[in-house]
Amino acid sequence: MKFRYAMVCSSNQNRSMESHYLLKKQGFDVSSYGTGTHVKLPGPSLREPNVYEFGTPYKHMFDDLRRKDPDLYKRNGILPMLKRNLSVKLAPQRWQDNAADGYFDIVFTFEEKVFDMVLEDLHNRDQVLLKSVLVINLEVKDNHEEAAVGARLALDLCEQIEAVESWEDSIDDIMISFENKHRRKLMYSISFY
Amino acid sequence: MNVADSRDQALHLLTAAINHADLAVKLSSLKQAKDILSSLDSSSAADLFPYVVDLQRSPHTLVRKFLLEIIEDIALKTIDHSAVLVPVLVAFLRDVDTDVVKQSIVTGTHFFCSVLEEMTLQFQQHGKVDQWLQELWMWLLRFKEGVFSIALQPGPIGIKLLALKFLETYVLLFTPDNVYSEKFEATRGSRRTFNISWLRGGHPILDPVALTSDANRTLFLLLDMLQSASSLPGAITITIVNCLAAIARKRPRHYGTVLSALLDFNPNFETVRECHKASIQYSLRTAFLGFLRCTYPAIVESRERLLRALRAMNAGDAADQVIRQVEKMIKNSERERASREIQSVRDDQASSQAYVLGDLSKKRSMPQDNEELTNSFEMASKRIRSGPNTHSTPLTQINDSGQDFSSINGASSNLPLSDDNLTPVEQMIAMIGALLAEGERGAESLEILISKIHPDLLSDIVITNMRHLPKSPPPLSNVGTLPTTQQAFNVNSRAQVVPPSAPTTSLHTPVSTPELPVTSAATTVSSISDTSTVNSFAADSKRDPRRDPRRLDPRRAAVSVGMSSSPVLEDTGTGMSEFDGSISNKPLSVPVVENPPMRSMPTSQSNDKIIEGPSITGVEQPAPEGDVVDGEEGIAPILEVKSSSNCEGGPYIVDADSAELNADAEVKHETDESLFPESDQNHPASITISSLDDSGRDLPVLPLFVELTEEQKRSVRKSAVQQMAESYLHLHWSDCNETRMALLARLVGQIDAGDDIVVLLGKQILVDYRHQKGHEIVLQVLYHLYSLAVRNSVDNSSCPTVYEDFLLEVSKSLLDTLPASDKSFSRLLGEVPFLPDSALKLLDDLCSSDVFDVTGKEIRDAERVTQGLGVVWSLILGRPNNRQACLGIALKCAVHSQDDIRGKAIRLVANKLYQLNYVSGEIEQFATNMLLSAVDQCGSIDERGEREVGNGDASTSGSQLSEPSASGIDSSNTESTSNSASVVSFPEAQRLISLFFALCTKKPSLLQLLFDMYGRTPKIVKQAFHRHIPIVIRALGQSYSQLLRIISDPPQGSENLLTLVLQILTQETTPPPDLVATVKHLYETKLMDATILIPMLSSLPKNEVLPIFPRLVELPLEKFQLALAHILQGSAHTGPALTPAEVLVAIHDIVPEKGGPPLKKITDACSACFEQRTVFTHQVLAKALNQLVDQVPLPLLFMRTVIQAIDAFPTLVDFVMEILSKLVSKQIWRMPKLWVGFLKCVVQTQPHSFPVLLQLPPPQLQSTLNKYGSLKSSLASYASQPNIKDSLPRSTLAILGLANESHMQAQQQPHMSNLHSSDTSVQGATPS
Repeated sequence: MKFRYAMVCSSNQNRSMESHYLLKKQGFDVSSYGTGTHVKLPGPSLREPNVYEFGTPYKHMFDDLRRKDPDLYKRNGILPMLKRNLSVKLAPQRWQDNAADGYFDIVFTFEEKVFDMVLEDLHNRDQVLLKSVLVINLEVKDNHEEAAVGARLALDLCEQIEAVESWEDSIDDIMISFENKHRRKLMYSISFY
Repeated sequence: MNVADSRDQALHLLTAAINHADLAVKLSSLKQAKDILSSLDSSSAADLFPYVVDLQRSPHTLVRKFLLEIIEDIALKTIDHSAVLVPVLVAFLRDVDTDVVKQSIVTGTHFFCSVLEEMTLQFQQHGKVDQWLQELWMWLLRFKEGVFSIALQPGPIGIKLLALKFLETYVLLFTPDNVYSEKFEATRGSRRTFNISWLRGGHPILDPVALTSDANRTLFLLLDMLQSASSLPGAITITIVNCLAAIARKRPRHYGTVLSALLDFNPNFETVRECHKASIQYSLRTAFLGFLRCTYPAIVESRERLLRALRAMNAGDAADQVIRQVEKMIKNSERERASREIQSVRDDQASSQAYVLGDLSKKRSMPQDNEELTNSFEMASKRIRSGPNTHSTPLTQINDSGQDFSSINGASSNLPLSDDNLTPVEQMIAMIGALLAEGERGAESLEILISKIHPDLLSDIVITNMRHLPKSPPPLSNVGTLPTTQQAFNVNSRAQVVPPSAPTTSLHTPVSTPELPVTSAATTVSSISDTSTVNSFAADSKRDPRRDPRRLDPRRAAVSVGMSSSPVLEDTGTGMSEFDGSISNKPLSVPVVENPPMRSMPTSQSNDKIIEGPSITGVEQPAPEGDVVDGEEGIAPILEVKSSSNCEGGPYIVDADSAELNADAEVKHETDESLFPESDQNHPASITISSLDDSGRDLPVLPLFVELTEEQKRSVRKSAVQQMAESYLHLHWSDCNETRMALLARLVGQIDAGDDIVVLLGKQILVDYRHQKGHEIVLQVLYHLYSLAVRNSVDNSSCPTVYEDFLLEVSKSLLDTLPASDKSFSRLLGEVPFLPDSALKLLDDLCSSDVFDVTGKEIRDAERVTQGLGVVWSLILGRPNNRQACLGIALKCAVHSQDDIRGKAIRLVANKLYQLNYVSGEIEQFATNMLLSAVDQCGSIDERGEREVGNGDASTSGSQLSEPSASGIDSSNTESTSNSASVVSFPEAQRLISLFFALCTKKPSLLQLLFDMYGRTPKIVKQAFHRHIPIVIRALGQSYSQLLRIISDPPQGSENLLTLVLQILTQETTPPPDLVATVKHLYETKLMDATILIPMLSSLPKNEVLPIFPRLVELPLEKFQLALAHILQGSAHTGPALTPAEVLVAIHDIVPEKGGPPLKKITDACSACFEQRTVFTHQVLAKALNQLVDQVPLPLLFMRTVIQAIDAFPTLVDFVMEILSKLVSKQIWRMPKLWVGFLKCVVQTQPHSFPVLLQLPPPQLQSTLNKYGSLKSSLASYASQPNIKDSLPRSTLAILGLANESHMQAQQQPHMSNLHSSDTSVQGATPS
């Protein structure tokens, strides 16, 4: 495993954590982040989401929601998800505040908006390290099933990237063959640390 | 451990690292060595560097990489000792291992920045750069070359990406970022903060001009790579796009170039290799979105383009979101700024200005990208550029000093916002200047640059530079109030104060830089742009705030305001104002007072004369209408002499000697030197001055300037433009590149209104308009004129007229010279920036007016009408501002008295315009008004006096639409008045209503109005209605649901129209069920008139026809006949509703007494049937009679019908006899009314009826014979035949008097034979 990976979605709960979990299990050096301003989890209705600050431990959220409405959050899969998350890391992290975490070689995003934000954020950093970073967007719907599928696809992609000698030389081929194989649209860009 | 020990240990470790066989040992030794090295002081560590360098030959990649890490870690700290290490970086660029190369680029880049920074600091602090540092820099330049070649040559992509990043860094480093130099403090160690703007020039290595131009070249390198992206891998293309985007965002002066390159870039090319196009496309999207996040004026102004591009790639939503975010941030930052500004009014103004604009994240101020149309602002801002960037002048002071020009001050006080911002033109000029200054090195880049400059921009560059040439006078209004002659004293004194700068430079630069490329066939154009850039650059660089010693001088601002506040001021010589301000020691008020007279001094004479010089015709002519700068006046004669042109204003020449001029220049030079101690030969200002000196020495005696009268000035100016235009026109139009067009446009912009030169030019352009680029050039000219007009709209200058004249002239010529089928006219009107009323009038005339010439002969060409209407259409579609007027024209034509014009216009209005929802309402209103006017006008015709009133109403309603349409109505009124002899003319009615009917076919609901009005419509108009309605109804076809609604509830008085409509609807077709149902419903509920049912009858089934049959019979005979036809015709599917026999039966079934039709109607109906002998044949009759005879009671008219039947078909006689005998058996005599008929029939049909008679019972026979006595003898003779007589009862015989049998028999025989042969006689009797 030669690269450092970051998995990024909006709230660092579902999609990024699913793939974080999976890649970690496979032995990848992986972190995960969210680009939103807050961590949002579904609430009793669409208008009443549960909002937390980034950095709030998953455990805290887990207890909070279990206290509020254990049935509901068990049924909609939030509690199991949080349980999974707290086994992966302590708390959701915000991409924009991750400068201290060092550079990543490959960043996966799971939503176009997130992709845009990651690129914009990288642009706004002082790019002094001159370390190239590959940012890949794999569009994944924000539900548990799709997240699971997305994580497997991300893993597949990571393995392919690891397999080649230099991703810079092969990224076009990897992208095209992946799209053909899985019928999923991909997008990539290159930025620098 | 002391230093020596550490050194020894490090040396030991390094040796181990080099010599030991085991890689692990090597690495761990190195690691320890590195730790020690970093703990040593720099000089001790430097002693070990040679050993470190030895590691570069290690075969182990890891070792070499580690070496780079050591260099990065240690050498950067001890940069003064790192000279031995840097060559390693250069060597490693060619390493076999990509990781080593990558690390080498990274480390080298860091080195590059550090050394650059170190050099700058040294130079600033000590005025020189140490030798060792210069050597280091030379190595780094080699490193740079190495990286560049990596970027350009094929190789591993990973390395190339880094190389590209280095290119980006390089461009960023050496492109001024407009951060105030004051901010630059000794920031040693803070990496990447270096910027070229720190440099002040004066050092051969740290030459900002050369470095900036190098950066520009590098940018073009990137742009070139982008263009060849089709052969590049996706990763590289994406990185190039990202790098360019980063450059554009961080260095707005490159924004325009990068943006157009990105917009032009099409990632959907056929690529040589497989690459992920979606990602490339997306990188553009990311770049554009990134631009949207910036708040630099240049970027903000291109928002529309960005949005368009983003929408085209389906990123509209994302773009909108970004814009919302940005606007929110702007608001916040403005609030923040406002509070800060209040605080810092007394503080350093420069720092407070920094918050005004800029990338929100960086708060960096920015150049402003002023479009041509915003030039009014731009002018002022240019004026003040060198002023406000000093920032030491509070706004209040600016206002004070400029109070005389209060109207402009609003703009002026805003200017500090955009201070320091260069327009694209100025940026370009600066860039070109930088390249030129480089001489040979820059030539190639300059060529590339110029070939890439947009023609408009290039023209602006040329024109902008004209400002440094002698100026033409200010507009006449100014001149009038000021003395047209200047005293020599004034001139001289001014010449002393203000040394000439730009114009001389522009002349002489070609000499000093002969290697300048000539990029186009037209030498004038290219050399203008090439050479003129120098002077402007010179001026520009002098404007640079960092070099401007006056930036702390409050008077500068005052001067600037004074200059900018002249509204007509296209351009004041910047050179003048600057020198003026810098050298004069006069108090604050002086520049303000002094400048206006200078400005207004009319010295264009010299300028104009120069135009005559063949070699520079193109150069000087466009001198804007700006002001005269004295320094330039001094120069003008120089030019004149050089070009040895004919001097028109000879007598007015005021001599001034060159020595004085030279002296001025020297003075200036010295002043410069003293003010800029750091300046050296490379300083652009110095270039200017030295070249000026040269020119001064070459030219012995210099006439200073020439006075011309107004008249002369004008004629000279005119002839100059004319000559210019002609020389253009003589060129092949196909050669007429865009630059030339743009230039010509600006030239025309210099012309005053009313000059017939405009006309002339228009005509010239039109020669060969179609095949050449006439359209483009006309548009160029018009757009430029218009921009001038808009700019000058405040002081109501003459430009609008010039614009209008030119447009009209070209339009008319187009119409005159080109065939009607040509689209040029339409295209012209569609694409010009603005359509004046006169153009619309022209169009109006084309469409409708002037139908007759003086002799009354028609001169209209139908094709021209079509052309005109076509133009109207396209204008309505394409020019919302002129929509009203054009619609007016179209509508006016739609009620034109001439059928062909009207027809065409109606087709246009109904088929095309009416579909446009933004005009449909008006069209409808107009058509309705016309219809109403027809109805009401004719309705009041009875009282003729009211006629005119009606006309008046019509014209009023028309005039609500627009001016032309009102006049259209007027003309139609005269038309109708002339027709008024014929009271209500049918054509007039048609004229007014045709449009409405045409609209009805498009919008059936309008029919309602027709129906509503039908009742009160006068007869003649009704006729017109009747003529039109079939067309409408047929056009509606199956989509008549609206019609059905009307049918279901027809307004009072519209029955005739309704019937007509129904007829049309059912003509030659079966009426659809919904129609039938509607009509039936109507009949049953509202309108009891069976007439409306007639058209439906054919499709009604028998059981529905029968109930209404009596109603039909009741109708007037002709309608009944029609109904009968429908009934019998039936539909193709169901056959006739009633067979003829059934019809007859139905008729007979009608019982007259029960409130039904009068008997007469019934008999008429019967007769109507009998008239149709081909339908009501004898078989039909027989069948009907057979049915009728069995009815109980017998129909009243039965006997009548029988008689008619036998009359019509005598062959029926046998059948009738059967009927009669049936009747006898039915005891017909008991039915008195029928009995009469029976007897009549019997009498008529004798002798065939004899057997029937004989069947009668004796009493009835007796009474019959009593009534018809003539029967008795023949009946008796018939009965006396033996076979008959035998069968007769005695009583009967007795009545006949046949008791004496033998006698009777003898008599009877011959008679009988007679009778049998007399069928014909019976027949002959029937007609009676």
